[in-house]
Amino acid sequence: MTMFLELEGLRKDFDGRRVLQGVDLRVEPGEVFALVGPSGVGKTTLLRCVDFLLRPDGGRVRFDGREAPRAPSERLALRRRIGMVPQNPLLFRGSLFYNVSFGLCVRGVEGSELEDRTLAALTAVGLRDLAQAKASGLSAGEAQRVAFARAMVVNPELLLLDECTANLDPANVALLEAAIVGYHRQTGATVLVVTHNLFQAKRVAHRAGFLFGGHIVETADVEAFFTNPTDARTRAFVRGEMPY
Amino acid sequence: MHFQFARRWLVVLVAAAVALVAISAYLSLPRAYVLLATTTSTRDTGLLPYLLPQFTAKTGIDVRYVAVGTGQALDLGRSGDVDVVMVHAPLLEEAFVAVGDGLCRNLIMYNRFVVVGPVADPAGVRSAANATDAFLRIHSTSARFESRADNSGTYNKEQEIWAATGLNPSTFGSWYEKTNQGMGQTLTIANERNAYTLSDDGTWYAREGSLPYLGLLYAQDEPVLQNQYSVIPVNPAAHPEVRSAQAVAFARWLVGDGQALIAAFTVNGHAIFTPNGAGAC
Amino acid sequence: MLTVAGDIVGITLLSLLVCATSTLIATLIAVPVGVALGLREVGSQRLLRNILFTLYGLPPVLAGLLVFLLLSRSGPLGGLSLLYTPLGMVIAQVVVVTPIILGITMSVVATVERRVKETAFVLGADRWQLSVTVVRRGLAGIVTAVMVGFGRAISEVGAVFIVGGHIEGQTQVLTTTIITDISQADYGHAVSLGVILLVIAAIVYSFLYRLQERTMP
Repeated sequence: MTMFLELEGLRKDFDGRRVLQGVDLRVEPGEVFALVGPSGVGKTTLLRCVDFLLRPDGGRVRFDGREAPRAPSERLALRRRIGMVPQNPLLFRGSLFYNVSFGLCVRGVEGSELEDRTLAALTAVGLRDLAQAKASGLSAGEAQRVAFARAMVVNPELLLLDECTANLDPANVALLEAAIVGYHRQTGATVLVVTHNLFQAKRVAHRAGFLFGGHIVETADVEAFFTNPTDARTRAFVRGEMPY
Repeated sequence: MHFQFARRWLVVLVAAAVALVAISAYLSLPRAYVLLATTTSTRDTGLLPYLLPQFTAKTGIDVRYVAVGTGQALDLGRSGDVDVVMVHAPLLEEAFVAVGDGLCRNLIMYNRFVVVGPVADPAGVRSAANATDAFLRIHSTSARFESRADNSGTYNKEQEIWAATGLNPSTFGSWYEKTNQGMGQTLTIANERNAYTLSDDGTWYAREGSLPYLGLLYAQDEPVLQNQYSVIPVNPAAHPEVRSAQAVAFARWLVGDGQALIAAFTVNGHAIFTPNGAGAC
Repeated sequence: MLTVAGDIVGITLLSLLVCATSTLIATLIAVPVGVALGLREVGSQRLLRNILFTLYGLPPVLAGLLVFLLLSRSGPLGGLSLLYTPLGMVIAQVVVVTPIILGITMSVVATVERRVKETAFVLGADRWQLSVTVVRRGLAGIVTAVMVGFGRAISEVGAVFIVGGHIEGQTQVLTTTIITDISQADYGHAVSLGVILLVIAAIVYSFLYRLQERTMP
């Protein structure tokens, strides 16, 4: 199952500062899309607007062609088809198992199905052995992996990843990227990856987009995006010439 | 898993709450006893714990009491929250019956109001000619005086005596203190502050042992110092749910068999109540 | 002597019953409302918080007076005959204790890290599941709220005197008996009842304190 995401003229202001100034974006169902851009440009803001954590000041977000429904129960159902892994995830007090199984519990999954799926997700991120360990004792890298397992275990149709390998060492980066690719291959979900790691974007994504100045300046297939971008600003960014 | 735990706890807490409320409700079932509203003075003399079990033994009727101020006791009778009222404020009682809040009124007994004060007696109350004179002496020496100021029978009597002196308490200086409390507490305060006060002799004798700085200074049998107690069953016309028959039985017993018991009642060796039962109940 | 001891037992048990019942009911009212209010956006909370802080200062005697007027036969709920009964005392104490638990719970919930709420939200929690998650996080604080509420209930004397009437065998509790003991200069008896009060408080608090430790981060 997969989801078609569209942003149309999305605007968001923070403390009077215009962060998103009319973002237009189409993420095709089943594709992995990398959203790149300088720090502070609004990539996280964009993700939070999509996942109902922020209310946009203008524009529309469409899921499978339709805007978010008004009825709370339908909104909840839509929200449950979307998963997000934030940059510095917060883990609940308790074991890793408790954390990863949270989303399943919320959706009413229980018993052996809960156990099997939770352990499978932990295995996918290489933390099966620590299933009963306390979440408070984890390193940043392990915490990030738990957050990923926690998000993917419920099989979201739209997965939003916010710099989820930013603080990891190369080994963990590779592990997590393999998990992302593996998840996508298994479920065909739509994945929106926010990253400032251009190499990562090249490794995992089909298409990429450059967010700058409150707009999506350019989108292209990942090969074309990195080797031959059309816009001058994209070119500067991709070549590492953009000071920020 | 995560939320089942919470749900289970919620169920346990709600069940516990229901159980506790059920127990409280069971203990709060409409009472099977006659409820008497009386004054703190009556409570503090210890008369009721002595008298009431005798009535129950004779008639099988359980009588319990709530001790509040005279004002509130009559108000509880007015609203029908109690079945019978026993106070010692004749003027207020007559009004209570006249208005129809009380069914009938029986005089039961009287004790005396006495003037107590510092053992050294700076105002010379011991040699006063009468109650009015005693109060005049206190006023002229500006000796500290504790007034209950709580609309009680004792307070009303105190005001009556001040009226007889021709003086107006609202013009008194700081020597005239208002405690707004019951007799027991007011005596304690007088003891602590070396002050005079008007007390009923029952409370005085009951509390004497704990009031080392006070002495009984003026205790004569004047009509004005008579503290008349009466019992008034609440009028069922306004409040059909009151236990009228039993309240009337109680009122009758108090002026009947109860009179001998009242005469025999002593506080620390003093027989403080003089029975004078009479009335139409 | 035995009847005196029996009296003390009866008085103590009634105190425990009234305080436990009122604290439990107050908790069941105050915690859900406190969580709901604490989760709302900050702006709309200000008026509520002002009202609540005023209720913190609600003197128990005033609560007692209000409940008395309510339950008296001349009052709106007079038909229930709850004046001078243990259930009436419970009602009075619920009025006193609920604002305290409510206010502390609201503060605790509002102070729970925003990210906790966001994480649960993003993982698909509905209102109830989000509330449970937040309560779980702030449980130590909520236990404190209950402790403070119980402390108020067990030490309260004004409201239970006014609404209970200190009637023998019906509504005599530890605190009201201490008052009447003092009024009759029975200081020894009063002190012993005071000691019982302290022992009860110590037992309940040590239990709740241990509970609080277990729920601490």
